[in-house]
Amino acid sequence: MASPSPQQPSLLLPEAPKRRRLLEILGAASIIVTYVVLVLTQPTDIAAGPGSLAALAALGGFLLGAVLLVVAVLPTLPTSTVVLIPIAMVLNIVLGQFVGSTLVPFYLDAIGTVLVAVLAGPAAGAATGALSSIVWSLFNPTVLPFAAGAALIGWLAGLAARAGVFRRFYLVPFAGFLSGVLGGVVSAPIAAFVFGGTSGLATGAIVSAFRAMGDSLLAAITKQALISDPADKAIVFTVAALLVYALPRRSSFQFPFVRRYRVLAGRAPQGRGTATQA
Amino acid sequence: MSARPLLAAHVASFRFHGADAPVLRDISIAVDAGSLTAVLGGSGSGKSTLARILAAWLPGHHGGELRGRLELGASGAGACIDFTGGSDDPRIDPAAWAAHVAYVPQDAAAMLSTVRDTVAGELAFGLENLGIPAGDMLRRIAGTAELTGLQDLLERDPATLSGGELRRLAIGCAVIGRPSVLLLDEPFASLDASGARTVELLLRRLTAEGTAVVVFSSTVDTLSRTATHWTVLGNTVLGNTALGSGEHDGGRQLAAGTPDILLAAGSSGEDVLARSGVVVPGAEVSGAGVSGAAPPRPVRTSAPADAAPVLELKGVRFSYDGPGASERETLRGVDLAVLPGEVLAVTGPNGSGKSTLLRQLNGLLRPGSGTVLLRGAPTDGTSPGVLAADVGLLFQDPRFQLFERTALREVAFGLGTKWRLFRRKQDDARARERALAALAAVGLEAHAGIHPLELPASSRRLLALATVIAREPAVLALDEPTVGLDRRGLAVLDTAMADATARGAAVVMVTHDLGYARARAHRLLRLDGGVLTPLG
Amino acid sequence: MSRGTLSLERLNPLTSLTGAAAVAVITTAAGQWAFSLAVLGGLLALTLRQARAAAVLRAATAILLPFWAALLLVHGLFFPEGRTVLAELGPATVTREGLLFALDAGLRTGVFVVAFLLFSFTVRVPELLSVLSARGLPPRLGFVVVSALTLLPAAAQRIRRIRAAQEARGLVIGRSLASRLLAARLQAVPLVLSLVHESGERAQALDARGFSGRQPHTSLRTVPDSVPQWAARRVLLVLSLAAVAVRVALALFGGRA
Repeated sequence: MASPSPQQPSLLLPEAPKRRRLLEILGAASIIVTYVVLVLTQPTDIAAGPGSLAALAALGGFLLGAVLLVVAVLPTLPTSTVVLIPIAMVLNIVLGQFVGSTLVPFYLDAIGTVLVAVLAGPAAGAATGALSSIVWSLFNPTVLPFAAGAALIGWLAGLAARAGVFRRFYLVPFAGFLSGVLGGVVSAPIAAFVFGGTSGLATGAIVSAFRAMGDSLLAAITKQALISDPADKAIVFTVAALLVYALPRRSSFQFPFVRRYRVLAGRAPQGRGTATQA
Repeated sequence: MSARPLLAAHVASFRFHGADAPVLRDISIAVDAGSLTAVLGGSGSGKSTLARILAAWLPGHHGGELRGRLELGASGAGACIDFTGGSDDPRIDPAAWAAHVAYVPQDAAAMLSTVRDTVAGELAFGLENLGIPAGDMLRRIAGTAELTGLQDLLERDPATLSGGELRRLAIGCAVIGRPSVLLLDEPFASLDASGARTVELLLRRLTAEGTAVVVFSSTVDTLSRTATHWTVLGNTVLGNTALGSGEHDGGRQLAAGTPDILLAAGSSGEDVLARSGVVVPGAEVSGAGVSGAAPPRPVRTSAPADAAPVLELKGVRFSYDGPGASERETLRGVDLAVLPGEVLAVTGPNGSGKSTLLRQLNGLLRPGSGTVLLRGAPTDGTSPGVLAADVGLLFQDPRFQLFERTALREVAFGLGTKWRLFRRKQDDARARERALAALAAVGLEAHAGIHPLELPASSRRLLALATVIAREPAVLALDEPTVGLDRRGLAVLDTAMADATARGAAVVMVTHDLGYARARAHRLLRLDGGVLTPLG
Repeated sequence: MSRGTLSLERLNPLTSLTGAAAVAVITTAAGQWAFSLAVLGGLLALTLRQARAAAVLRAATAILLPFWAALLLVHGLFFPEGRTVLAELGPATVTREGLLFALDAGLRTGVFVVAFLLFSFTVRVPELLSVLSARGLPPRLGFVVVSALTLLPAAAQRIRRIRAAQEARGLVIGRSLASRLLAARLQAVPLVLSLVHESGERAQALDARGFSGRQPHTSLRTVPDSVPQWAARRVLLVLSLAAVAVRVALALFGGRA
C-alpha cells in the first residue's frame, strides 16, 4: 500500500521487536528453581540461628529472576504501556507505604500492578510488579527480595484479564483470591529465610499463633500468608477493576491487549453506560 | 508544476475506534517551505485530530481508522503513504516522521519526557535516543537554545518554567531534530501577552529560516492574520443548534484560501469563520451567526445595585510558605469591595498573584493578615466546602477542576446536600435536575454521559463553568475564563455572567485579555506588586 | 553533619551500589550476630558522616522498629525448637535459642536495611541510570525508574489540586475517619484517571522523540569514575564471592548450613 521512494524506506515501522524468550524463560526458571530448592533443603534445625545459605539463595535467586524478567519484557512493550508503569508504581508505593504503617494485616501494594496487567497483559504486569519492588526498595529495602512475588501477581492478573475475568465483575475477587494463594506461597520462604519473620506486628501475631501450635517457621509463615494474601489480593483485584471500569473508554481501548482479548465488557468505546456505570 | 509541497495530506475520513461517525471528512492540505498556514476551527471541529494525523500521532496506531493519503516531499524523504482504514494499513514510524514533520501539542507539558532535571537535558532527550554523539549534541542544544531564546534557562528544572518558557522548550524539543514542517496546536493558549510575543517571534523566525509552520487555532490571532493560507474547518458540535437541519458540517473543510479573501467573504454574507465558531478579534463576538437564538443580553445589565457590598477584602496580605516567604509576599494589603450585580476584572502580569487573590475569596487560601467578608460576615472560621455555596470558583486549568467520570456527575458533585457516604435518592434526583439545567445553560445537555476528559478543550471549560453556575453562587470568581473558548463558548460565558448579575450576583474575573475585560467589566483593576490599583 | 571526606555522594553510583550489595552478601554469608553487630556499628558511623544522616536514620528507624518488635514477639515468645527455657508465660515460652534467633535475624536485616538506605539516600539516581544503561540495561528501565521518582511528589501536588477543586464545590472534610476515607476515595479515583489519561499523550510524544528507537543511545551526562573506585569494586566483588564460596563449602563438608 505504501510506496516510499527507494532512498528513504524507513518512514514505516519495522517489524515488532522480537520477544526475548530466552531471558524470560531464564528469569522464570530462576524463580521456580530457587523456590523448589528452598522448600526441599529448608533447614530442619533452625535453633542454631537463621540459615545463612537459604537466605543467600532466596535473595540471589529471586532477585536475579525478577531482574531478568524486567530486562526481557521492558524493551518489547509498546510505549503506551511503558508510560503507564511509573504511574502504577507510584500507586503501589503510596498505598503500600500507607497501609504498611497501619495495623491492618493487608498490604494493598499491588493495585497499580494489577491495573497495568489488565490493560496491557501478563508480561507488562510482571514487569510492573518487579520494578515497583525495586524502586520501592530505595525507600524501604526490605521489599526488594519480594520482587519475584510481586511479578507473579502481575503475571497472574494479566492471565486472568486475558481469560476474560474482568468482563464479569463478580469473578474478579475470586481471581484475586487464587492469585493471592500462589503469591503467598512463593513469598513465604523469603520472609522465613531472609528476614526470619514478617515485618508487621499484625502479621507477626498470626505467625506467633501458628508457632505456638508447633509449626515450623516456614509452615507458620506460609499459613499466615494464606490468611493474609488471598484476602488482600481479592481486595486489590476488585479496586483495580473499579479503576479500569471508571477509565474513559477511549483511554482503555487504546491498549491493544484490551482490544485483542476483549478484556472488558461492552463492544467498543463511545458506548456510554454499561461498564462505565459499574 | 513547481516543486512538490513539503507536506500534503488528503483525509477522506477519520473515525475513532468504535465511534459511529467520522470526526474528519474530505480535507486537503498542502504546505510549502517557509510558508505559514493556519487551520482555523471552533471547538469540536477536529483541528487537533487533524494536527495529530499530519504528525503521524494517530493513523494506524492508537485510536482510529484513517482513509486517505499522507505525502511527504521533504528533502530526500519523498514518500506517499495510503491508508484504507483496514488493520493492514502501513504503520508510520513516529520518530522517522518527526524528523521531517514535528508537532507540539496544545498541552506543552505533555511534550516533555519528565525524566530530565534540566532544560538542556530535556532538549538532549531526543538526540540521545537517536544515538547522536555528545559533542554534536552540545552544539545542537546551543543552536536550538539560541533560536528559542532559552540560553539563560539551560540549567533550570523544566518543572519550574513559566507557560511561555515551557512552550518555547516544547518547540525547541520539536525543532532540535531540524524538521522541515512544524505543526502547533493552539500555540498561544494560556500564555500572557509577553509569553505569547516571544512564541510568536520564534515562529516567525522559523518560517524565515525556511521551516513550514502550521498553526491550528480557534482564534484569528496576530500570527495567523499574517498566514499565507487559511483552512477553515466546520464545527460539529456538541449542542450546536446553529444549522437547524440534522446535517452538521463538523470536521469538514468549509473553506480554504488567503486570509484576505476569507475575511472579505465574511463581511459580504457567507461568513465561514462565524459558522465554524472561530473568534475574530475586533468582530462582534456575541453576534448571531453562531447561535441562531436571540443574542444574549448584555453582561452589564445596569449599574450595580446601590446596596451593601456582597464581598469585601480588607487589608489582605498573603505569602506562600517557604524560604524567604516574607520578602516574596504575594499580596501586600489588598482592599476591595464588590457590589451585587457588579462585574469586576483584574489584570496583571503572570505571577502577580491573580489566581492567589481568587483563592482567598472561597477560603482555599487564607490571608496572613486582614479579612475577607462575605455579605458582611468574616469568612475565616468557615471551611471552603461551606463557602462554596456562596462563592463559585472557575479554575484557570479545567483539568484540575474536573474529576468525575461523566459530565452529569461532574456538575452534580456536591450539589444540594452535604456529602455523605450514602446519599438519599430524592436528594440525588434534585441534584440531577439542577445539574441538567446547568449543562443545558452551557449547551452540553446532549453530552451528559460523556467522560469530561473526552470533551474538546473548549467544551471542557464550559463544563467547568457549568459546575460553577449550577449552585448559583452569590460571587462568581473566574480565573482566565476566556482562554481557549471559541465564539459559541464566549457567547455562553456572556450569557452566564449576564444571568448571574441579573439575579444580583457579583462577578470577579481575572484575565489577561484587556479588550475583553474593558468590554465586559464595570471596573478594571490591576494587580501588581501585591496591591490593586484602578485601571482606566 | 558536614560533608566530610567520607561523603558517599562523591562516589560513582556503581561503587556505592556494589558496596551496599557486598555488605549485605558478606554479612548474610557470615551468619554471626557479633559480626552483624560490628558491621551495623560501622555503617551507623559512616551514616553520621553523611549530609543526609538524619533522613537515613529516620527511614531506617521507621522500618526496623516494627520489624524488630515483630521478631521479638514471634521468636522471643514462641520458639518450639528452643531447648533452654528462660521463662514460661502461660502458652508462651521464652527460650535462649529463640532470643538468639531474633537477635541474629534482626541484626542481619538491620545491616541490609541501613546499607541499602545509605546507598539510595546518597546516590544521584539519573547518574546511576546512565551508568547502568551504559552497561547494557535497557534505557527504558531508566525512564521508568526516574519517571516514578518524579511522579511521587507530582502526584501529591495533584491530589492537593483535586481536593481544592472538590472543596470549591462543597466537599467538607471532617476529622472523623469515615470522612477522611470518603475524601481519600473521592480523590484517588480522579488522580489515577487523570494520570492514565495523560500518559496516552506522553507516549506519543516520547515515540516521536525516538524513545522506541532501537539504535544504541548516547548520553549527554558523563559520570566521573576513577581507577581506585574501579579497583574497589573488583575487591568487593571478589570478597562477596569468597564469602559465599566459604559458606557453601562449610555446608557441603560439615558445619551448619
